[in-house]
Amino acid sequence: MSQKLTCVGKRITQKDVLLKATGEARYVPDVRLPGMLWGKVLHSPYPHAKIKKIDKSKAEKLPGVAAVITVEDAPKILWARSFRDMPMAPSGALQRADEYILADKARYVGDPVAAIAAVDEKTAEEALELIEVDYEQLPFVLDPFEAIKPGAPLVHDYAKNNMAVHLTPPPFLVKGDVEKGFAESDVVVEEKFFVSKQVACQMETQSCVASVDSSGKITCYSPCQLAHPFRRELGKMFNVPVGKINVINPFVGGSFGCRLSCHNEPICVLLSMKTHKPVKLVYSKEEDFISIDTRTPHYYTVKMGFKKDGTLNAMNLDVTTWAGGYLSRAQLAGGITLIWGLGHYRCPNMNGSCDVIYTNTTVAGAGRGFGNPAIMWGVEEVVDMAAEKLGMNPVELRLKNTKQTGEMANMGLPIESSYIDDCIREGARAIGWDEKRGKNKGGNGTLKRGVGMATMTHCSGAWPLLIEHSNAFIKFNEDGTADLTVNPGSPGTHIWGTLSQIAAEGLGIPVEDIYIVTGETDKTMFDLGSHASRSTYVTGNAVLEAARLAKKQLLERAGKILSESPDDLDVRDRQIYVKSNPEKKTSVANVCSQAIYNLKGDSMNISGKSSWCSHYNSIPTAAYFAEVEVDTETGEVKILNFVTAVDCGKAINPMTVEGQCEGGVQQGVGYGLTEDYVINKNTGAVESNNFTSYKMPGTMDMPETTKTIIIDKPDPKGPFGAKGVGEPGLVGVAPAIGNAIHDAVGVWMKDLPATPEKILKALMEKSPQQD
Amino acid sequence: MKKEIINLTVNGTLHEISVEPQVTLNEVLREQLDLTGTKLSCGAGECGACTVLIDGKPELSCCTLAMTANGKDILTIEGLARDGELHPLQKAFVECGAIQCGFCTPGMLLTSKALLDENPDPTREEVKSYLSGNLCRCTGYVKIVDAVLAAATEMNKGGK
Ligand code: FES
Ligand code: FES
Repeated sequence: MSQKLTCVGKRITQKDVLLKATGEARYVPDVRLPGMLWGKVLHSPYPHAKIKKIDKSKAEKLPGVAAVITVEDAPKILWARSFRDMPMAPSGALQRADEYILADKARYVGDPVAAIAAVDEKTAEEALELIEVDYEQLPFVLDPFEAIKPGAPLVHDYAKNNMAVHLTPPPFLVKGDVEKGFAESDVVVEEKFFVSKQVACQMETQSCVASVDSSGKITCYSPCQLAHPFRRELGKMFNVPVGKINVINPFVGGSFGCRLSCHNEPICVLLSMKTHKPVKLVYSKEEDFISIDTRTPHYYTVKMGFKKDGTLNAMNLDVTTWAGGYLSRAQLAGGITLIWGLGHYRCPNMNGSCDVIYTNTTVAGAGRGFGNPAIMWGVEEVVDMAAEKLGMNPVELRLKNTKQTGEMANMGLPIESSYIDDCIREGARAIGWDEKRGKNKGGNGTLKRGVGMATMTHCSGAWPLLIEHSNAFIKFNEDGTADLTVNPGSPGTHIWGTLSQIAAEGLGIPVEDIYIVTGETDKTMFDLGSHASRSTYVTGNAVLEAARLAKKQLLERAGKILSESPDDLDVRDRQIYVKSNPEKKTSVANVCSQAIYNLKGDSMNISGKSSWCSHYNSIPTAAYFAEVEVDTETGEVKILNFVTAVDCGKAINPMTVEGQCEGGVQQGVGYGLTEDYVINKNTGAVESNNFTSYKMPGTMDMPETTKTIIIDKPDPKGPFGAKGVGEPGLVGVAPAIGNAIHDAVGVWMKDLPATPEKILKALMEKSPQQD
Repeated sequence: MKKEIINLTVNGTLHEISVEPQVTLNEVLREQLDLTGTKLSCGAGECGACTVLIDGKPELSCCTLAMTANGKDILTIEGLARDGELHPLQKAFVECGAIQCGFCTPGMLLTSKALLDENPDPTREEVKSYLSGNLCRCTGYVKIVDAVLAAATEMNKGGK
């Protein structure tokens, strides 16, 4: 990449953002089709109940009701909300088909048991009240440790002791002899942690508009970010050829993992099949809170042993992942905590385990960072605990153990590039580590200040654990502009802009000339979709390759016009010129136009198409630094300053990278301090089912200053050197805050979120034996 | 339930609408007038996504009964740009990277407009405080606050 970049690295606004500023952008709840009905779902009020009988006659008689459906009306096929049969390793972590479209037995409060389609929303709501369900309440179990005791109520008959799956680390993360390693360590720290069930809180509630026409064609407007795998699952579920299904993603109002699954879409499709009319189904925020996938909660033990000089010598992780009534992606989000946790630092002896357990609670699946924020909370706190025992600076202790380029990364492949040490050093400098660390413990009355840090490594896609396959197609239009067809999904991450910049740079034309075609499975080739921080890296490489092929065709056509060898030509400022004689040129538009409209009989649409499968995985790395002020009287934590230093390779668009990191800080502040998913122990009901009881941070809860440092050193494998950055923004935010709290007031918070009550309790427990 | 006729001036156009007493302004805007730029998220007055301006003041359309807006002047996101010219706040939101998924954006923009109408030269703290009822899950608010301050500067230059 010796040539000067003209578009990559620039702060360019993605074209369609304008439509979001004017209100023209249409999201699923804004879609209206002629003759459309409204759908509503009846959710179980009980955490575990046999459904003995459902009497729908009264509801059916209400004028305006077009259909009432229950499990009896649904295909007798088990499906997986997180999609079956994805080629995946290790195979023990495969997605499991364990639910019907509507519940055969209620397995959590919120489980959909029936649904209505009616002429309008109000009629559908009224009809819901008229459905009579005869439930037989069953004993239920909410806690995973209770769930595995003999005699506990069984959530699924197939899963003995409610054990969905027991996982061990992949072979490349089982190393040496752990017991011996601990015995030979000078400092060993072992601690238990709990992390709560964070809710995605995407602002657009879960919605679907489905239309099944008389030919059987299914059109499904959905926010699902894995549109192609979702289409296949719909085909299997309803026994319909995939070609008859079009999954459309209009604008999507946020995901943060929850849109990796589909939720009410199958219900909506079934309602449309029954009524022969389009149906719209929009969940309320409360329905979102109780019945769409949350992040997986985990109990876990971290044990780490260090040599006197700070070298990490042994590490063990035992994780218990608390799935809900269905598995979704809990088995993956659980199992992968071992990969993130054990794969982060260099260590000669390590092992671990992960149990994934069914309970009668809301389903837990993917959350941004996919298990990495959960496990790094504990790992990074334990590193700080060890630093204290070793009498070492936590910055130095981390620098001692970070993995470098060429060593084996978390997913078992060599690290293509790592600038984690730059992240640590630059972040420490920006927060003022040396001046502030440990300096203000006795200060200012009840207000104590401290600084803390954390680090992480993540991924750019999930290869080699999962297929990483994307396609891109670029065609030149007759005026020299180009259409880029891709379908990575876009829950709001500006990936279309990022991919347009890659295409523009690859083709040598201005980014304004790139038009994106996306959002429909009918119009696009396969793309796995948006997950695991993959789209810039995997779809981006597909785009770059398609651009290379399209440019090759363009130069070949231009060569004929200019009577020059294509190898001697290049593209700049919409002109194709002879490299040795730039005055000799023709316009891209001229070449494209002549290629399409001519009477020579050799017309062609200049284009390039590529199928891209990753065979490597470049890991983004990051370091996070927080400066906090803790009020020892109230337990409140104020975040003064936050710094994220991120190594995401070459930043295709620095503004987008900053946006991802700044948004990650908000989610990390919530994860660390305020967002608590509370389930009533007596009823199994979700008590934190709105934004008043579930506190996601607003403007006033955010740090006074937030800074993103982009290391901006290219990776050898990413397109123009880029690595993934969608998830890293969040991963280490909470542990940096947790470690800063300890620096301020000397308590270790082990149970997330660290609410003021928990901090006060910890302070109280600490104070008798202290000063 | 008995319907009544109300008059709403929305983005400068007078509409005569027949509504039932319990219908919210949000429903009227979205379902009857097809102004879907006004969003609905929490539906309970907790997030600000549904904010519109009623006689210049920011109000939550999900908690406002349509009847109570009878005779009033309502500005929704669709009315913020004038004669094809974006409002400086819209320009600033687009240019500063203040918009990710965009679902909070209409509410953020209208609340910000009310702020700048009241206080043309706010401090960073004042912007944060005025927007404290508008939740965003994507941006961490940093670039939203940047955008409001940038728009204020632009407008004070006489941009208007
Ligand atoms: S939708 Fe009205 S305040 Fe949330
Ligand atoms: S931009 Fe997505 S909620 Fe604000």
